[in-house]
Amino acid sequence: MRALVAKSPMPGFGLGMGITITMLSLVVLLPIGALVLHGLNFGLANNWQVVGTERVMASLFLSFRLALLAALFNLVFGVILAWVLARYEFPGRRVVDAIVDLPFALPTAVAGIALTALYAPNGLFGAFVRDWLAPLGNFLLSPLGVEFSGRIAYTQWGILIALVFVGLPFVVRTVQPVIAEIEREVEEASATLGASRAHTLRRVILPMLMPAALTGFALSLARAVGEYGSVIFIAGNIPMRTEIAPLLIVIRLEEFNYDAASAIGIAMLLVSFALLLVINLIQIWSRRRVGDV
Amino acid sequence: MSDIALATPLEKEAPVTRRQPVTQESRATRVTLITLCLAVLVLLVLAPLGIIFVEATRRGAASALQSLTRPEAVSAIRLTLTVAAITVPLNAGFGIAAAWAITKFDFRGKAVLITLIDLPFSISPVVVGLSLVLLFGANTALGGWLVSMGYPIVFALPAIVLASVFVTFPFVARELIPVMVEQGRAEEEAALTLGASGWRCFLTVTLPNIKWALLYGVLLCNARAMGEFGAVAVVSGKIRGQTATMPIAIEMLYNEYLSVAAFSLAGVLALLALVTLALKSALEWRHADQLAATRRH
Repeated sequence: MRALVAKSPMPGFGLGMGITITMLSLVVLLPIGALVLHGLNFGLANNWQVVGTERVMASLFLSFRLALLAALFNLVFGVILAWVLARYEFPGRRVVDAIVDLPFALPTAVAGIALTALYAPNGLFGAFVRDWLAPLGNFLLSPLGVEFSGRIAYTQWGILIALVFVGLPFVVRTVQPVIAEIEREVEEASATLGASRAHTLRRVILPMLMPAALTGFALSLARAVGEYGSVIFIAGNIPMRTEIAPLLIVIRLEEFNYDAASAIGIAMLLVSFALLLVINLIQIWSRRRVGDV
Repeated sequence: MSDIALATPLEKEAPVTRRQPVTQESRATRVTLITLCLAVLVLLVLAPLGIIFVEATRRGAASALQSLTRPEAVSAIRLTLTVAAITVPLNAGFGIAAAWAITKFDFRGKAVLITLIDLPFSISPVVVGLSLVLLFGANTALGGWLVSMGYPIVFALPAIVLASVFVTFPFVARELIPVMVEQGRAEEEAALTLGASGWRCFLTVTLPNIKWALLYGVLLCNARAMGEFGAVAVVSGKIRGQTATMPIAIEMLYNEYLSVAAFSLAGVLALLALVTLALKSALEWRHADQLAATRRH
């Protein structure tokens, strides 16, 4: 059997590992353990009874569905943006490259009130959509029986915009370095063999970007499912319609209903773990398929 | 002059035409894609950034600055700086220790350890806050005992710090680990062979190699620690002037329809975000070879 720790002349293993394990336990594992323990004490059936209620199910489903839509948008747009930033020359490219990370640097509460100010019915974009875009859309789509209220903030559209905002940089930042590594010879070979540019992009480039893009997609999804700060201002928070799962936890905590809060919390934790598992599986799969990229 | 004489007959044989390179999209496609990207970024990122300063100065810059001198704004700024001043060194120390243990030694369960360090990235901030309340709340065994000893954790500074440390936990470690893997162990081994002590080896060999990556991680960690909202909102109790950090104070002011005050405080955090981005970009341009983020992931 292999030794637990391989022999090494390097000093500091005890100190480094000691700090690591202590911090990890105190800061991360102990609180998560407390949450799981609380859930276990409450009982599986009771937890399920809380999570199974209509309002909780609606909030979990809403969080997950909108997070999925936002992550899908970010997947497509992120790949395009990464390509544009890595391959095209245009004035201000470096500034744009830096701006992409703003959703990481801007506090979520700040993003929340800023997006609400813009997309509220009396905001700059909100008013434009209400007075121009929605009437035009409704006029064009009226034969289909589609009716758009023209409201962005305080509807699910608002939540979607906030979730797209917070997840925007993930796919760009995972895909961009991979594009930079692609050797032009591959594209030249494809062109020499008679492939059109579109064919080369679809059959040669895109498969190379897929593992990184999927990792970014999963990261952005995980972030969006649990997002709170940027959403609550723009969501309107109407139960069953625009109430996200993290907000419901906060509401239950404010009612001192710790059992219900922990039940919803555990449900969200399970979703996080499932997503983490998916991320790891994608990475293992991509390593097998295209080597260590 | 012989060059020109040579060039003329060649040009006649093969007239120079500007052909589309085979490894590039057509000009129309490029312009369309660039326009699309810029449009989405303006609508989604730049416009929200701009509106913060527009809303803050709606009644003039003087009014915006004055709202920052209100006692609750001052105490929020002070609390946020305090939280960051504790959180960032803690996580920098942890990041260095974890990266040292993980990259300089071989042991079983390394992959599990790395996954556990990354765990906070995929947990909802609200769930983080909830977990801390369930562990340290006044009605729990541990929390009740600590309160009776005179050390309240939840609805006080310790819980705010713990929540901030949790959500920023992986930032420094994640940045250092790939850089230190790439740099290998040879330089440290040479220093040790030459008789350097462990600390001397770390301070004079390892630290200079990782200083830019460390700064990069600290920068991101600081931005998140100052801006964390969800986890802090749950554990802070939102006591005005006492446990309200800047993001919490922004929410309180906003919900009281004190728009100018809320957006002024938000403007301060937005400026901080812009400074963070500028420093981060400067690091990426100057020291790209010594950072993990700018290379393969």
